[in-house]
Amino acid sequence: MNQHNQEFWYGVIDDIQLTEGERTVLSELVEIDKKVQAISLAEKLNERPERVVSILNSLAEKSLIELEIQEIESYELTDEGLAYATEGLPELRLFEAVRKSGGSAEMDAAVSAAGLSEETKGIAISWCRKNGWLSISKREGRTILTVEKDETHSQVQELLELLKDGEPGIEESLLDGLVQAQTRTLVETSTEKVFLASLAIEESKARSLIGPESGGILNLTPEMLASGQWRGREFKPYNMEIIPPPANVGRKHPYAEFVDWLKEELIGLGFTEWWGPFVETEFWNNDVLFVPQDHVARDVQDQFRVDEPYSHGKIPDEKHFEQVKAVHEDGGKTGSTGWEAKFSREIATRLCLRAHTTPVSMRYLASHYEPPHKMFIIDRNFRSETLSATHAQEFDQCEGIIWDEGLTLRDLMGYIREICRSVGIKKLKFKPGQFPFTEPSVEGYAKHETLGWIEVAPGGIFRPEVTHPLGIKETVLAWGLGASRMYMAAMDIDDIRNVFSRDLTYIRRKYFAR
Amino acid sequence: MIVTCIIDSLLRLVGRKMSREQLEDKLFLLKAEVEGFGEDTIDIEINPDRQDMLSTEGVARALRAFLDIDPGLPKFPVRNSCKKIVVKKGLDKIRKYISCGIVKGVETSDQLIKEYMRLQEMLTSTHGRNRRKASIGLYVYDDLKFPIYYETELPERIEFVPLGHDERMDGPTILQRHEKGVEFGPIISGFQRWPLLVDSGGKILSLPPIINSNDLGRISEDTHNIFVEVTGTHLPTVEQCLNIMTTSLAERGGKIESVEVSYPNGPVVQTPELTPREMEVDVEEIRRLLGLDVTYKEIQASLKRMCYGAKVSKGTAKVKVPAFRVDILHPWDIIEDVAIGYGFDNIDPTLPGTMTVGGVRPMTRLKNKTRELMVGTGFQEIMSYIMTSPEVLNEKMERTTPYVGTANPKSRDFSVLRNSLLPVLLDFAGRNQHADYPQKVFEVGDIVLPDKDAETRTQQLTSLCALITNTQVDVTELLRELAFVLRGLGLEGRFKFQSSIDSCFIDGRAARILVDKKDVGIVGEVSPTVLTNFEIGSPVVAFEMLLAQEGTYQKPY
Repeated sequence: MNQHNQEFWYGVIDDIQLTEGERTVLSELVEIDKKVQAISLAEKLNERPERVVSILNSLAEKSLIELEIQEIESYELTDEGLAYATEGLPELRLFEAVRKSGGSAEMDAAVSAAGLSEETKGIAISWCRKNGWLSISKREGRTILTVEKDETHSQVQELLELLKDGEPGIEESLLDGLVQAQTRTLVETSTEKVFLASLAIEESKARSLIGPESGGILNLTPEMLASGQWRGREFKPYNMEIIPPPANVGRKHPYAEFVDWLKEELIGLGFTEWWGPFVETEFWNNDVLFVPQDHVARDVQDQFRVDEPYSHGKIPDEKHFEQVKAVHEDGGKTGSTGWEAKFSREIATRLCLRAHTTPVSMRYLASHYEPPHKMFIIDRNFRSETLSATHAQEFDQCEGIIWDEGLTLRDLMGYIREICRSVGIKKLKFKPGQFPFTEPSVEGYAKHETLGWIEVAPGGIFRPEVTHPLGIKETVLAWGLGASRMYMAAMDIDDIRNVFSRDLTYIRRKYFAR
Repeated sequence: MIVTCIIDSLLRLVGRKMSREQLEDKLFLLKAEVEGFGEDTIDIEINPDRQDMLSTEGVARALRAFLDIDPGLPKFPVRNSCKKIVVKKGLDKIRKYISCGIVKGVETSDQLIKEYMRLQEMLTSTHGRNRRKASIGLYVYDDLKFPIYYETELPERIEFVPLGHDERMDGPTILQRHEKGVEFGPIISGFQRWPLLVDSGGKILSLPPIINSNDLGRISEDTHNIFVEVTGTHLPTVEQCLNIMTTSLAERGGKIESVEVSYPNGPVVQTPELTPREMEVDVEEIRRLLGLDVTYKEIQASLKRMCYGAKVSKGTAKVKVPAFRVDILHPWDIIEDVAIGYGFDNIDPTLPGTMTVGGVRPMTRLKNKTRELMVGTGFQEIMSYIMTSPEVLNEKMERTTPYVGTANPKSRDFSVLRNSLLPVLLDFAGRNQHADYPQKVFEVGDIVLPDKDAETRTQQLTSLCALITNTQVDVTELLRELAFVLRGLGLEGRFKFQSSIDSCFIDGRAARILVDKKDVGIVGEVSPTVLTNFEIGSPVVAFEMLLAQEGTYQKPY
């Protein structure tokens, strides 16, 4: 997309529609009323010449003007030419010196009187002889110069002076002088493309295309309003049906707008937003969630380990740690068998990038009391993946919890249905699901027009092995929303890299609307 | 895990004709999602908790009960074979446990053998944690001479023809050359002596957990009596693998026989132990958790549809858990199965009246306010990855700032966490040299800094960064816009710009941003060195500042 596309179209209805730029150039042409070079138009309009040429081209395409392209030679003085233009040609100066000394002079004296150097002396003598201005004779071993004419005229000198004064054109009468100046390399010649424009239509027609007077008022001015001049006059109509090209003005990121909208819906359902750190200990990321310490999800293939500058974090609450440890080893006081394996503090304190938002739910439960509570989070998570069309090392999750007395599996399904309904999912069905930290677990499947049934809303009731060490006796329901999946489905995006695109043009042209 | 079954074979085991749609619907309700159909096959996704369903036999067994064709606890009578396995000393630290069993009269065919092998592979890769925790071997029972010895041997002295080869190899050679040796060798290679299974004839059964011998460990169509052995480091896992393997084979007509395993210093045990575990679940707890007013009869029927033995009376469900279930840790696990047996399609969702007031975090409100001001000033919002590279953060920025790094990135481009937004935005500008100018972009997002004293050794802060790039830029224009934003945040009279020198910015064109006299960021024209490093062809003015981390600039009332 080029810059000129940003120019706003608002031509006048008359079969022909003119852009602002076209109108300006055309009216200037009407004013000048003769064939004119694009470059001088550009100067008058204070515009870049390339832009004026491009506008002239489009006016010519509309057959409003004739655009003649000429190869025009232009001339510039060389350093030598410039010097002569000021001081005079050497031959002229020599001639003058001889003439002033009475029509005849000894050469050395004349040269010195003319102020010539050794270098220019030869040039002067040679051209004076060639032009037949001076004759040279030997008298008593001395070289004597004698004038042959009363006065001289040099086209070359005239030309140099004209060029020095910046005169662009060269008259026919000076052509001989030009040839000589070129052979003497006093003048450099360059060829240039020149665009000559002239009106191709009647002036009145042109004025009707541009001017307010003939058709009606173009611009309503404060003066007109003050004087009431506008009364009884018509306004020039604009073409109001043209679709302008996209403009690059300030705007929110489309995905950010989607997230904003999602948050709005969840707040409407009474959920409070919460937050947690990207860098977590495995204690919060896995252990608290009753994920066995040798679970594959903790493998280096899957979960990012943090090792710089620190590889292990701290356990903030030893009592909680002991409870979690007991639950893992033998179920503690929960009635569970646990994982029947030793619980390692080294693994628990290991730092990782959180692989899901559930540690945030855990931190919320650990730091709040007295239910009821409803919390949600939408934020970034990390998995050790290679960035491709289907996988990314970062993705967003949206999840929430409902913590209250006497909540049931049916309530969980009710919440999931309600959340899905508020984000526009009408058809939903449930299947039993499986997550290490919830029991029972469900998965909500939404009917998508083209993709069929897609998994959008997992959920479950936190296991006693999870809630008991946190001292929670009530039921805690947990649900998630496949936020980026929903966004991709809504926006017809099939490459996950486009969610956090690094292509500015793509972002500028992608719109989320609800 | 995806299990591929031949539909005919599956339905024959189920004992009912079903359409593909019916099969898909029922499996869906049984927690198994159908991923797709082949010409005569079905791909079923099995959740990791249901290791017992990783085979056609397991899926068929679950369906048979679920469809009320054969509900209740499946019976697996076990006869004592009087065969013995002797565990010798020295295995405690290497691979302590072994459990074995015999299944006689198993139906075999090329296809079936492939399926048995696949179950073995899947079990050992998931539940057995890639053979580290448990691995399984199947052998031709009729060729074995009992008792069988589980012992250790020096690697060089181990010598046999590994499965699928025709030449003898010694231990180290197997680990170097055999594909399974290369893959699983690290499990034992650190030990001086390696575990070995040998029969009384001196023939080697296998080098657990690497590979069977070609001699005794190759099941063929002629094999109907199979010896199953599981070794490992975690006894419950070893037992569970054996239970699943032997009961699956029993689904193909096999009769299970137990063997005696004697450990050097005791105990002596009979394996497999297929007696169902008994658990009690409180009926009220079932009703409370599910929100269903289920009757005793319904609970009993639901449990039987999930292969449990069940008797409900006097407020308690007495449940017998089949020995192939590895996922029943807590009564709640059984309650979930009551719900599945009851049918998720029969459960009506309800909406409780939990009354709470919702709201965004103060920081989200501040972020939104900031974003709106930036958009109003004409900036396009962008969203970047949190992860980036040391090159972007430091090298190209001519900085040496501390950052948080990961140990196992897949690519250096995404190996560390951003500690500032400015490098990320400059990187963005470098990638968008072809896009329309002027470019005015901003991001509001989190950055992460190391912090020795914090619980997670990090500090996460919310930052605002913006840049303008064009053929000509004007730092005073950016100052005007920044001041607009600061005033919009309610900071009139509370902010200052203080000239400063910073290696990323041109000397004389940089200033610190002060809010309430506190240094919160920097603004200026980016130095040509940095621009060149990022391959940016036009000048850039930019600012970055930390937002009030408490989420508001207002003083409390």
